[in-house]
Amino acid sequence: MISAISSALPFLLDGLWMTFKISLATIFFGSLLGAMVGTVRASPLRSLSFVLGLYIHALRGTPFLIHLYAVYFMLPATGVAWLQFDAITASIIALSLYTSTYVAEVVRAALEAVPRGQVEAARSVGMSTLQTLRHVVVPQALKLMIPPMGGVYVIIIKGTSIVSVVGVSELVRAGEQAAQRDPSHMLVIYGLVALMYLAYCYPVLRIVRWLETRFGAGVTINI
Amino acid sequence: MCPARIAAPGVIMKVPANMDWLVDIYNFRVVAQFAPDLVRGLVATIWISALALSIALVVGTLTAFARLETRAGDRIGATYVQVIRSTPLLVQIYLIYFALPELPLLGRRLDEFECGMLALGLNAGAYMSEIIRSGIEAVPRGQVEGAKSVGMSYVQRMRYVVLPQAISKVVPPLLGQTAILVKDSSLVSFIGVFELFSAGLAILSERLMPNEAFMTLAACYLFIYAILLFLATQAQRRLGGAQ
Repeated sequence: MISAISSALPFLLDGLWMTFKISLATIFFGSLLGAMVGTVRASPLRSLSFVLGLYIHALRGTPFLIHLYAVYFMLPATGVAWLQFDAITASIIALSLYTSTYVAEVVRAALEAVPRGQVEAARSVGMSTLQTLRHVVVPQALKLMIPPMGGVYVIIIKGTSIVSVVGVSELVRAGEQAAQRDPSHMLVIYGLVALMYLAYCYPVLRIVRWLETRFGAGVTINI
Repeated sequence: MCPARIAAPGVIMKVPANMDWLVDIYNFRVVAQFAPDLVRGLVATIWISALALSIALVVGTLTAFARLETRAGDRIGATYVQVIRSTPLLVQIYLIYFALPELPLLGRRLDEFECGMLALGLNAGAYMSEIIRSGIEAVPRGQVEGAKSVGMSYVQRMRYVVLPQAISKVVPPLLGQTAILVKDSSLVSFIGVFELFSAGLAILSERLMPNEAFMTLAACYLFIYAILLFLATQAQRRLGGAQ
């Protein structure tokens, strides 16, 4: 068993590194897109906000596998040159779209949780809409966003496991390959894979709980 | 949903000439040929989700009560929830499918469907136990004390005071979690269970038609999601629960 672990470990660590890179890229692009969608959803732009609501429901209502396959198979089939992605790019795009729906809900809930009087006071001292956002609303909303964003990050880490189907050699894929080489130790290898996810996600969840006790629960969204 | 009409061999369904552009993007004749498979897949998805939901509700309720009532139960239940929340469902499915040995009572190993159902149920059970636990904890302490002071037993307190209030808080988020469960059930296709996703994937693998495959699948999943979303909003309105 020790030898099975030591022979599988280098592959699994490579996989974990890939999982780490993809999850970091996704939290960046997903948050960027989600912040834009969420800000519009919280704004008084009714019709745009309705359209983005449909976008969120469409992504929420379908499994991530379909988003991934849509980006990886449907977009290249259009024949447009810049829609031909390699597996890693397609994975990051699909994961970012998926993540953006959660981030948008967090951002919207946080922006709406800032008391109305704050905005009115800022407007009445002559601040413009942008100034009000920049100096009054966003600083207060950011504090409310931090704990739920930790939960979103864990969702991303777990979501990266699915991109193994398009051939990205992240942790699950590395585990599958190691298990093929050494089928008698399948249990050990998949156990190790699970432990590595645990080692990555559990600290994040602990930090979230610490932030909640330190700064309050923030906004809660239905995930 | 997919029309359950199949073109008989040799008969080509008539399409108006001005619909050609649509056939280029989405060839519904091909989808119609796959319709029986898709319907069987949809039924299989609903069936495995319903079975997994029953497991999840039992496991979730037991875990929630164990965590609220005893210290050892809280320790074990918290570990279960943390482990499930910190690992991807796909890994849980693989672990149960590849690692579970022959069961002594059954005399055989679980098949793909049972493994998928079990993994989905245990996964959703952890999330549902958290929902149920917070629903019970949200019932004000004074309610329980009042029930105690009029001489109600534990079962009576639960039956007449705590649960009626907790259920109204718990049902809408449980329906939301059920929607997640239905989406997650697409992952059991990885271990070879036939369900909606694998039925739709056949359109890609046999005809190389990604649009037809994934737009149809998305529509079918959205259909289930819309029903559950409707039920959740109705429950919220009727029960006056969460938020």
